[in-house]
Amino acid sequence: MHELSMANSIVETVLEEAKKRNASSVIEVAVVVGEFSMLGLEQLRFSYRVLTEDTPLANSKLRIKREDGKVRCGGCGFEGPIQFKQKQEYHLVFPTLECPRCGEAVEMVAGRGCYVKSIKLRARESSPNP
Amino acid sequence: MPIGVNSLARLVKHDEGEIFDIELEKNILKANDELASKNRELLTRHGVKAIDIMGSIGSGKTSLIEHLAQRLKERRRIAVINGDLTTTIDADRVSRHGVEVIQINTGKECHLDANLVAKALDNIDLGKLDLILIENVGNLICPGEFRLGADKRLVVISVTEGPYMVLKHPFIFMEADVVVVNKLDLSEAMGVRFEDLQADVKKINPKTRVVGTSCRKNVGVEKVIEALQI
Repeated sequence: MHELSMANSIVETVLEEAKKRNASSVIEVAVVVGEFSMLGLEQLRFSYRVLTEDTPLANSKLRIKREDGKVRCGGCGFEGPIQFKQKQEYHLVFPTLECPRCGEAVEMVAGRGCYVKSIKLRARESSPNP
Repeated sequence: MPIGVNSLARLVKHDEGEIFDIELEKNILKANDELASKNRELLTRHGVKAIDIMGSIGSGKTSLIEHLAQRLKERRRIAVINGDLTTTIDADRVSRHGVEVIQINTGKECHLDANLVAKALDNIDLGKLDLILIENVGNLICPGEFRLGADKRLVVISVTEGPYMVLKHPFIFMEADVVVVNKLDLSEAMGVRFEDLQADVKKINPKTRVVGTSCRKNVGVEKVIEALQI
């Protein structure tokens, strides 16, 4: 539900950078979204499209890459992807913080972020002095 | 300044003087985490404990806060930060118990964030407090993502939300130190057992403590205080 505000932060970050570098427009924005973040990618794309209208980012391509989550166990040192369990009667699969090796609770160490990884800018045709 | 000059960011590729690839690595969510750490430092410096109270709409977050305020106000100096979209209904309810209440209206935002809490903390005399209860916006999805700088995170749910609700929202329970299952007085009528919801929470997060309450019948509130160590 907070995709609009996240998209807004992404657009602001890119606009600031584009202005600083005297770019005429933004061609592409690459964003990384962690597995454990609650962002819906479809809603993020939609918000981005709406927010970039009439800005130097208009018609730019938004590339979204999923970042895999990683967990670490303080008990036994296990490190790896988050584990999933099943509840047969509800036909449901859900993630768990239970360590697959020792049963202690693991910590999420990667996959919580959302960041602007890179951008592609077009320079102004008549650049001021180099 | 022309593209790629005097910049901290790394210039990766330069395409015929026209198009530039720039590596940024600007973390959007990290900005919130950094502010949350600052809130935490500020609170710690003043010896104030804060609890982030998240949970579904109508699960009993405000009722629980009313009970906590009523029971703790003789031994702790308490303030409540109330996050709500537009109304002051919750803030009005809590202030009747004689504790300081600061309202944050988030407008259209579905969660509190560290920045909003930092602004609320600016309006509080932290030197005169021991405990801050922060009531987040009723929502089982977004608040989990935004840490506020609280010592503990509490999630309030209730049996009236049905038997599947825990497993359908696993991420918020991963963030929880304590989970309260409220409205146990309606358990039989709903056909939803505390033990089943507790088992579901434990399957997702083995280190979380699960406490059953009935705020309406004033049952279980002491156990919540004990679990939160407040």
